[in-house]
Amino acid sequence: MAATDQLIETLSDKLQPVQPLRKPGLRAALWSGFATLVIALVAMVGGSRADLAHAVTEASFLVPLIGSWLTGFTAALAAFHVSLPDRSRRWLWLPVVPVLLWGTDFAYTCFVNWSDLAGSLALLPESACLMTILATSAGLTVVLLPMLRRVKTLRPGLTAWLGGLAVAGFADTAHLLVHTEQDSLLALTVNLVPAVGLIVFGGLAGRRAV
Amino acid sequence: MDFRPENDSVPPVNDGPKTATSQPGRAPEEDWSVLMARAQQGDAASYRRLLQSLTPYLRALAHRFGLSGADLEDGVQDVLLTVHSIRHTYDPTRPFAPWLTAVARHRLLDRLRRRARQTGRETELTEAHETFASPETNHPELAGEAARLQAAIASLPEGQRRAVEMLKLKEMSLKEAAQASGQSETALKVSVHRAIKRLRGLLGGS
Repeated sequence: MAATDQLIETLSDKLQPVQPLRKPGLRAALWSGFATLVIALVAMVGGSRADLAHAVTEASFLVPLIGSWLTGFTAALAAFHVSLPDRSRRWLWLPVVPVLLWGTDFAYTCFVNWSDLAGSLALLPESACLMTILATSAGLTVVLLPMLRRVKTLRPGLTAWLGGLAVAGFADTAHLLVHTEQDSLLALTVNLVPAVGLIVFGGLAGRRAV
Repeated sequence: MDFRPENDSVPPVNDGPKTATSQPGRAPEEDWSVLMARAQQGDAASYRRLLQSLTPYLRALAHRFGLSGADLEDGVQDVLLTVHSIRHTYDPTRPFAPWLTAVARHRLLDRLRRRARQTGRETELTEAHETFASPETNHPELAGEAARLQAAIASLPEGQRRAVEMLKLKEMSLKEAAQASGQSETALKVSVHRAIKRLRGLLGGS
């Protein structure tokens, strides 16, 4: 008990003022705003797809586009909530509907063209689309990571997985705006594989980073 | 959307009225919220009061988690250190008790898991496994009664000493001892009898 009293004295003597964290909703909105700016920048620099005006009238383009953006936003919101000790783990379920919207197109394409999947995977390393996704992800991660690290979360695993999902969602929004794949299976692989890779990488490496 | 924190296996922190006086094992939540908000602004006196008033509650909580003794106190200190390092994550507009309980639950469960892992891997040492840097401490026969007995045996006449060593210490049979020493079995018996009588006298036995 003497050691505990001594500890209290030490902690009190060394006390420094701290700035309480902003609300998770505000932090998620700020980061998502930044992500949207990055996406716009990538679309301007990389050149948005030629048929964008036509594509936005089609549900097959709009649903994954909106789904991916919403996945990024809701996963970020969930990550900022889950990173705090007194918030429920049930925030984990928030991105589920956006992920389903985002994945609808993948699932349909995969179902229709299953037999050509292996061939499309072989084309993946040659795709310039990967650069768009990686560049966007890097930019978003550089800002998200310090925001999550500042929390010193007690749930690093969950926080990192959600952070990876948020980055993957926004990165794919940028990709969808910039690139047009004629081969639908190539579209599937360049969207799905990097997304899964980002989420897994975020979950595994981010666990230690946050 | 505002999910309430889950409360798995942790007893309610405060279901009574919010008062200025604290009771051991219960959380005067209003006080704690105010004290923590002041602590975030750098008020050391409020922070000291806060940590001091948290400690009995944390001890009660750690006890409910099955900790006791030094382990319980280590657990409480662990929670206090975590509270200190993440105090910026407390939102003064929200109740303090769920935040504290969640922090404590994380830390105490971590401690229990760590303990379970260690006990699963480790085997408790017996006296036979113990060894020390000082050579004398690894030879208990050199200490206390054993040392006195050894000295007394050493002081016996040669014949009696050899008889005791062979028949009592090495536990040889009379026949073996007779063959080894060249003495008759009767002579060995007599020597041992005299030696024991003499040892009793030397060691003060009856």
